[in-house]
Amino acid sequence: MTAVLPEVGRGREQEPLPQPARRYRLSKLDNKVSPYLFVAPFFVLFGAIGLFPLLYTAYVSLFDWEVGADDPAFIGLDNYRTLFQDAQFWKALFNTFSIFVLSSAPQIVVAVAIAALLNENLRARTGWRMGVLLPYVASLVALTIIFGNLFGPQYGLVNTVLSAVGISPVDWQASTFGSHVAIASMVNWRWTGYNALIVLAAMQAIPREVHEAALVDGAGSLRRFFSITLPMLKPTLIFVIVTSTIGGLQIFTEPKLYEPSGGSGGGAEHQYQTVVLYLYQTAFQGLDLGYASSIAWVLFLIVIAVAGLNFLITRRAVR
Amino acid sequence: MINRRPSFLVYGLLGAFVLGSAFPFYWSYLVASRDNSVLTGDFTLVPGGNFWANATRVFDTIPFWKALGNSFIVSGTVTVSVVLLSALAGFAFAKLRFRGRGVLFLFVVTTLAVPTQLGIIPLYMAMAEFGWAGELEAVIVPNLVTAFGVFWMRQYLVDAVPDELVEAARMDGCSLWRTFWHVGMPAARPAAAMLGVFTFMQSWNDFLWPLVVLNADNPTLQVALEKLQSGYYVDYSLVLAGTTLATVPVLIIFLVLGRQIVAGVMQGAVKG
Amino acid sequence: MRQRWVSVLICAAVSAAATTACGSGGASQTPDGKTELTIATFNEFGYEDLFKEYEAAHPDVKITQRKTGQGQPHHQNLFTKLGAGSGLADIEAIEEGYLSQVMAKAGQFNDLKEIGPKIEDGRWLQWKTDAVTTKDGKLIGYGTDIGPLAMCYRKDLFQQAGLPSDPEGVKALFSTWDSYFAAGDQFIAKVPGVAWFDSAAQVFNAMHNQHKVGYYDRDDKLVVETNSDIKADWTAVTGAVTKGQSARLAAFSNEWNTGFKLGKFATKTCPSWMLGVVESQAGPENKGKWAVTDAFPNGGGNWGGSYLSVPKQSKNAKKAAELAAWLTAPDQQIKAFKAKGTFPSQVKALDAPALLEQTNAYFGDVKAGALFAVQAKKVTAAQYKGPKDGEIQETVFSPALQSVEQGKNADEAWRTAVQGAEKAAK
Repeated sequence: MTAVLPEVGRGREQEPLPQPARRYRLSKLDNKVSPYLFVAPFFVLFGAIGLFPLLYTAYVSLFDWEVGADDPAFIGLDNYRTLFQDAQFWKALFNTFSIFVLSSAPQIVVAVAIAALLNENLRARTGWRMGVLLPYVASLVALTIIFGNLFGPQYGLVNTVLSAVGISPVDWQASTFGSHVAIASMVNWRWTGYNALIVLAAMQAIPREVHEAALVDGAGSLRRFFSITLPMLKPTLIFVIVTSTIGGLQIFTEPKLYEPSGGSGGGAEHQYQTVVLYLYQTAFQGLDLGYASSIAWVLFLIVIAVAGLNFLITRRAVR
Repeated sequence: MINRRPSFLVYGLLGAFVLGSAFPFYWSYLVASRDNSVLTGDFTLVPGGNFWANATRVFDTIPFWKALGNSFIVSGTVTVSVVLLSALAGFAFAKLRFRGRGVLFLFVVTTLAVPTQLGIIPLYMAMAEFGWAGELEAVIVPNLVTAFGVFWMRQYLVDAVPDELVEAARMDGCSLWRTFWHVGMPAARPAAAMLGVFTFMQSWNDFLWPLVVLNADNPTLQVALEKLQSGYYVDYSLVLAGTTLATVPVLIIFLVLGRQIVAGVMQGAVKG
Repeated sequence: MRQRWVSVLICAAVSAAATTACGSGGASQTPDGKTELTIATFNEFGYEDLFKEYEAAHPDVKITQRKTGQGQPHHQNLFTKLGAGSGLADIEAIEEGYLSQVMAKAGQFNDLKEIGPKIEDGRWLQWKTDAVTTKDGKLIGYGTDIGPLAMCYRKDLFQQAGLPSDPEGVKALFSTWDSYFAAGDQFIAKVPGVAWFDSAAQVFNAMHNQHKVGYYDRDDKLVVETNSDIKADWTAVTGAVTKGQSARLAAFSNEWNTGFKLGKFATKTCPSWMLGVVESQAGPENKGKWAVTDAFPNGGGNWGGSYLSVPKQSKNAKKAAELAAWLTAPDQQIKAFKAKGTFPSQVKALDAPALLEQTNAYFGDVKAGALFAVQAKKVTAAQYKGPKDGEIQETVFSPALQSVEQGKNADEAWRTAVQGAEKAAK
């Protein structure tokens, strides 16, 4: 598909004196067709590979379908009916939102701050940039052990420090809020630098003249930041907020790693089991693919709704 | 003011942040250079002398070089493709007018919200159907262009390329492809550099899907590394020696390409 | 059948994109005409040299091993491909903990009695084979290794508490669960800051597996609420937790590892493979403090060990079954034991000199091989496992016991567990 496109370009180059009429026609055709060719690779790939899992999941969710079952029974919307009465699902939904709020809000604020620092005229610029991105490459094995050691309820470093300063230790596993804080800190550690770089790229795109003009007008640096930089970051902030909403509501890796014995229950009483973790447990421990598929679809709709809402709010708030 | 060097406070804050980010790497090396006892009580920050012994055990246990080669092929292909195809689609969504643009873009963003954990069963069925089960195509093709990339490029290019520039190029008789290549792509460089970095790392660290779909004799690095965890108790000095070795190539790439990436970023900034 | 519409859908999508032709899966023949047999294992089965031996004796066979490090990703891979309907190896290893899930899908696996070679009677310990035989008599897997249970304990801490500490003397403490918990009371009264066992779930699972009937009866009816044995175990374990006998450390967690190092508990339910775990976690500074004895409350038990199965997906089922049968013969399993220490499930292998002479230096040069061979024979009947047995143990009862350790009222936790089991089994 893409191999065709350069030829179109070359063809135009080799035309020494294009006749106005033909040129107009070609250009009209180019205008009409090229945009679709540009976006086609995504849609073709999605049609060939991405769409099938989606339809398959929707189909399976209408069955009492166990992994590897010989002939699953059609049960219509029963899985969905069960799901809405499933206390564990509602608990998982609450946990997901709680961890999401605890992680995304501080993360975005700090990411913008770090981006502003990185946007200064630093020595060894590349080094700093790559430095903040390091958590993104960190091995999950190492993280599991480190965070396990930090937040261990009995011998963990955080509790040792708390005790030393006279605060009573927190059971980071058993307590709902405690476990959410611990997981959110893990999320923040992994993703803040990443979001900072995204914001930074957008800051770099702000033309220098805009800043210089404001400088001439005598605007202070804080004021410049709020009245020039921030509004110009709008598309990027929308991007960051929408993607971190989508990512945050699908949170899986961190709570999975946080479970000390490596299961997917999210704590003894599911106090930190998220929706995707519940979905995963249902599918690969319970082998109940039908029910897991209905969880997947309901989550999908919730994510769309929340991301859409966030999009609208952000669009209004950041001007 | 723009060219002034920032204060020590800026360096201090950034330094603290980077130190926190880098700690697990140092710590991985620390454990890899000692033995498991670091993890249970004998806390220390001084590396020991066992790193090469542990590294040698890694090379003896898994096909490290073959896996490294595979990982480069997979991550390299995916990165180049994602950056180009996302920039192309992002440019179209940001700067070109065509019927259905809004709906199609909304559709792209919507696909981001699909939970992927359950997808591996149907995805495996699809790959088996294509005859790609066990082949590198199975980890490359599904990732050739991502909704994330398209969304990111679109958001960036909306403001980074002034509409007048596109109009001017069109007036000069540029085809849309040439407009993209000579106007869109240069402006997209900073965003493209970031997307490249993210895509490469994501692909480099992907584990579950490659584990399911690739054969044991043809693994990517992360799949191969998992084999270091066999046994009823995990020898973390061995495992972390493996992960440290697997991180080194990525760091080297960033050191070598870092200048280029920054150059790209700066150039885009001046032009924009 | 249900693959059909899948193929149609995908082919339609692909012909639009015009990439590859749609065909059936690849043939399992190598270019030089050999039959390729794939075998998927996890952890260490100790088969590497055996494969070479088999290939030398069977020039028409080429063996490819797909090895995963940990059991969890291996079984997720297994279930994914079971769900996808293709991609499984010719021989798939199954760990005991996942067996009930596999037995519930027995239709996807070959009956080895039907396709496998003739195997001498009584090759395996009876309970090992019973666990992998369906109600209608199909054999789904050949036993490889086992994890017979003994008791590990801290000699120095026992002495400190005034309890007997030599392997013979402690046997009285470990004769029944009642005597075990009574000794625990005595211990914690004397040694402050040290618990009697590591985690409630570890003890409960061992107790539970000794009963003839567990979570299900043989008609696959869930009997959690009516089975008085389960409730009695629950009461005993949670009672001990309330009194402070548990160190409240989830097995295999970081804190659990640290617990070994710091000596935070005095006894450990010990399958044969646990000796290596204790040695690596407790570390050289605790050498000589740990001991193991050939006693286990109420007889014996088993934790761990695997089977080799041949999925229906295999295109070379007969040859795969032959290989699996050969690998699980006593002679081969002894070689695997020598290579990687996997404890054999074959009756004959339990008398092999290599096994009987094995000693463990960390545990005071105890004759570990002989000790666990004795324990293996103490295991009586295999408990019948219903379709969701593994899930109930891992995702319902173990977490419920953990919640009691975290301070939840035992009666409330029991109600949660019963409800959880009913939900899992629905």
